[in-house]
Amino acid sequence: MKTGTRWAVLGLVVVVAVVAFVIAQSGGGSSSSSQSARAPATGTAVNGTTTPAAPAPKVIVVRNVKPVGGVQDITVKKGGQVRFTVQSDSAQEIHVHGYDFHKNVPKNGSVSFSFPAKIDGGFVIELEKPGVQIASLKVQP
Amino acid sequence: MSARARRATAAAVLAAAAPLALPAAASAHGLQGKTDLPLPTWLFSWAAAIVLVVSFAALAALWPKPQLQEERRRRIGRLPEWLDVPAGAIGIAFFGIVVYAGFAGTQANAQANLATVFVYVHFWVGLAFVSVLLGNVFRSFNPWLALARGTGWTYARLRGGRAWSSPLAYPSWLGYWPTVAGIVAFAWVELCYQDKTHPENIAGLIEAYAVTQLAGMAAFGAETWSRRGDTFGVYFGVLSRLSIWAREDGVLYVRPPLSGAPQLPLLPGAVALLTVAIGSTSFDGFSNGSLWADVSPDLTDFFSNLGAGPQTAVQWASTLGLAVAILIVSGFFWLGVRGMQTVGRGHTARELAGRFAHTLIPIAFAYAVAHYFSLFAFQGQATGYLLSDPLGNGSNLFGTAKDTIDYNFVSSNAVWYVQVAALVTGHVCGLILAHDRAIALYPKPREAIRSQYWMLVVMVGFTSLGLWLLSAVRT
Repeated sequence: MKTGTRWAVLGLVVVVAVVAFVIAQSGGGSSSSSQSARAPATGTAVNGTTTPAAPAPKVIVVRNVKPVGGVQDITVKKGGQVRFTVQSDSAQEIHVHGYDFHKNVPKNGSVSFSFPAKIDGGFVIELEKPGVQIASLKVQP
Repeated sequence: MSARARRATAAAVLAAAAPLALPAAASAHGLQGKTDLPLPTWLFSWAAAIVLVVSFAALAALWPKPQLQEERRRRIGRLPEWLDVPAGAIGIAFFGIVVYAGFAGTQANAQANLATVFVYVHFWVGLAFVSVLLGNVFRSFNPWLALARGTGWTYARLRGGRAWSSPLAYPSWLGYWPTVAGIVAFAWVELCYQDKTHPENIAGLIEAYAVTQLAGMAAFGAETWSRRGDTFGVYFGVLSRLSIWAREDGVLYVRPPLSGAPQLPLLPGAVALLTVAIGSTSFDGFSNGSLWADVSPDLTDFFSNLGAGPQTAVQWASTLGLAVAILIVSGFFWLGVRGMQTVGRGHTARELAGRFAHTLIPIAFAYAVAHYFSLFAFQGQATGYLLSDPLGNGSNLFGTAKDTIDYNFVSSNAVWYVQVAALVTGHVCGLILAHDRAIALYPKPREAIRSQYWMLVVMVGFTSLGLWLLSAVRT
């Protein structure tokens, strides 16, 4: 092949790849946008009704400064509501990274969090003083 | 251990506030407020497919004559050498401020202390990006080089014009090895050391590093040492070969993209420098993955059973992980080299490895972008409040101390695209560099192509590894 032909082939391949990608992406994008359009709708429905249709908030049990059953996963779609409760046998400060929420849980007590998932990404939830991770919050875009 | 015990006692005595921050084992840097989400499957598959298609198309379609082996640079104008004097002074000032903040500033919250954030974010990540965008800027601002140059100048003045003659000749076998050792040491501190974010320790370490550099420069000469042994100077210098900008003897040049990389000097340790850089970045990704989350507790138990304390055991486990990651990456490259050796005659594996070392520069940079772009985008915003409150003691010099980090500044989608784009681009650049070197090296075009099947395996392997690391992130 001559150099010109080689470039043409290479260019063509790249163009085909990019076009295919864009087409597939727009397909995927529309489905994801319809999902994200649905998410806030559910959120308002939840706010409107007295009995929330959302699944029961996750309960993280902390015993001996450790999460029972290992680090818990909380996954929410962006625009939804993050809800979880921490029960602890020791007094602790709970810190949600990124969102930077701090709340204290008393000894043998519990504390609940509920906030809108405004930032997408992964966030560590930890017992602030000992620096022990108890949950990981995933907010999907 | 005794130092730790002493420090614990001191802390107990000082009691009250300053809790000697127990390092959060949670995130790799202890700095991120937000971590990356794993690469979604659809994007992973697309990236992998594009990589494969581009690779095979490249084999068939790339140019038949070497294009990049000679640096065809064009003179832009003068950027005189005296400019390095104020630049060096700025570098020294920064160094002083960072060390001071590390010792005098808050120890309780690493994110609020300039020292920790500056070293891991602005310096290590930021300067890597700057080196590729703007060229080897760090060389002008390099504080220890500036100190050595200044001292040399003063010495010559005092001795009536007789310059310092370095007592030792730099051994040729040593090559880049001091730099390799330095990268391993830095990676260990960043990824394994249990007090990695503790500002005081960081300040102590960078001071020790600067003293080592000054000793090296005094012994072997500032110019020689700074181009061989100064880890950060050499690392940023190697990355800056990807830049289109070059500066030599006070003249600024522009050169075609990638044409700086083939000029990488064939020194001992060049291959190790790049494989160690890629290996340590890989471990950074891997240690955030679910596989590591499964394996590391067992490793930690193993070291605990050998008698290590809980934190030391974690440290040993990650040290082992880092070593294995570096060995795997290096081994993989050498495997490709061994394969290439079967093509044609008269090339030793060592020679081939050296001749293709520069093809790893774009891969190393791609890994750095893929893993640290979000850290830089988010934690870089800490500049705002750190400028006004570098010590984290509540001062507000410029009224920006209350600034916070906007975690919506870059969306997770954008982070994914940057990561994938970096890896794919790095892959293509690596292929191009390898192809160009092969046709220059092998007399028969057929041999050049056959040798490149092996490099293709290496590049596809590295890119797939990079994509996998990003997709296996555990948040």
